[in-house]
Amino acid sequence: MIRKYSKIILILLFIGSSVFARNKMDAQDSSKVSAAPNIHFSWLWGVAQLIPSPQWILANDKNNFGMRWQITPILFSFGMNKKLSPWRYFITDPLARQSGSIEMFITPEYFSTENKFKDNWLFRSGFRVYIPIWQKGEYASLSFASSYYNFNGNNGISYEAGIYLFAGIVGFQTTYMPNFRNSEWIFTIRLRYF
Amino acid sequence: MINVLLKIVFLLLISLSYSCTAIYSTANSVGSSVASLFKSPAKIENKITNPKIDSARLSVLWVGHSTMLIQIDNKFILTDPVFTETVAFLSKRLIEPGIDIENLPQIDIALVSHLHPDHLSLGSLDLIEEKISELLISEGGLLYIPNFEFNSSELKWWQSSEINGIKITSTPVLHNGMRYGLDYNWLPKAFASYIIEYNGITVYFAGDTGFDSTTTIFKEISKKFPKIDLAILPIAPIHPREYSNIRHTDPHDAILIAKQINAKHIIPMHYDTFAEAFDTLGEAELLMRQEMLKNNLTDKEVIILKIGEQKVIIPKEN
Repeated sequence: MIRKYSKIILILLFIGSSVFARNKMDAQDSSKVSAAPNIHFSWLWGVAQLIPSPQWILANDKNNFGMRWQITPILFSFGMNKKLSPWRYFITDPLARQSGSIEMFITPEYFSTENKFKDNWLFRSGFRVYIPIWQKGEYASLSFASSYYNFNGNNGISYEAGIYLFAGIVGFQTTYMPNFRNSEWIFTIRLRYF
Repeated sequence: MINVLLKIVFLLLISLSYSCTAIYSTANSVGSSVASLFKSPAKIENKITNPKIDSARLSVLWVGHSTMLIQIDNKFILTDPVFTETVAFLSKRLIEPGIDIENLPQIDIALVSHLHPDHLSLGSLDLIEEKISELLISEGGLLYIPNFEFNSSELKWWQSSEINGIKITSTPVLHNGMRYGLDYNWLPKAFASYIIEYNGITVYFAGDTGFDSTTTIFKEISKKFPKIDLAILPIAPIHPREYSNIRHTDPHDAILIAKQINAKHIIPMHYDTFAEAFDTLGEAELLMRQEMLKNNLTDKEVIILKIGEQKVIIPKEN
């Protein structure tokens, strides 16, 4: 059932998220929007992005450990201060994300299977919505995402839900990939420092 | 082999996540804070329910830590509002706030001196959102003020803003402005103190600052604001002094600042509210009283409040 309608669900999620974000943006006082805040690249930020999120892949046939990295090419924050630009490109301050946002993400993931090293990589891209639940998302927030993945030439859709603490530094994500090796679940301890 | 390596990486990363949490908390107090998480904050008996004093031109109620409810004539200013049970996730409140939120008057201006979690509490702003008319924060601070109902603006050092007749001027201090650590470079001036002027009364709220005998900051403040009626100054954390003195004043430093800015009255703050690793309860107040003796200052000049206590600093003339 989920497999049959997976593409429709993905499209609806994307449209729904976009409309929600658009409405939030319209509600803001555009006359007071100022330039983007002073967020810029630093080597420390670059090193922080190399920290992988460990994950455990539960498949019908085998269990494997893995690692996931996160790249955010673009993020729109609907939770942050209305006087600041809501757009972020690659570099995102934690509260812009956790206070409520929609982001496009790319995640390279490595699975420790018996395949060759180069055949163990999965690439996933999709959209994720963050919803603050405690102290404007700084203490706790949730996320929902859907994405497409590519693993050794096989494509499919995946769904994800997450919960985050400590300004999003630590979180737990569950990813479901209905078309992948007879259904696969991935449990990820999401570590993300900026 | 690779599975073993991945398991090691997994364990290392879990350790790293705990480290990040500790860094984030900024407090030097994780150990004692965790222990204090299981204790309830001490109760305050007979809290003030109506903080508006008609016979006062200037009064101050200490809500706790750096949260001060300042009344100047008919206006209310609230500094660094913190009402939550914890700050920085783990640092637990030792004593409940000095006033219940429902008894807070409408706040004309809320001032946030910097972005450290014991001064900028998003949960607290959420709790008192409807009570705040306007919020002012240090340069770059809007990054961490999400969409609230009230209007919020940044003030750069030496920049002034007049709101409902109250003039607020941001002034520099010796501190830092980061919130999560890595944002240190993004927020080079996100820490401030404030001069509050209304109807001829001038109050200096220092936020959080260190003191260095070579600094000219406080002399500059004194030059621009020669008549300061009241200085609200931090006096902790005290220990470890060799580390803290760059960022935090102790009672000795606070008196030196008060002398440099020629303040008529001093109210100490920033102590005995949240769990601290190195200071003991009552230590800051005791040292403050010793400094008062050394400097021949009376309790009319240095007004030591209890949390929840309100004092009239300048009464109305009949």
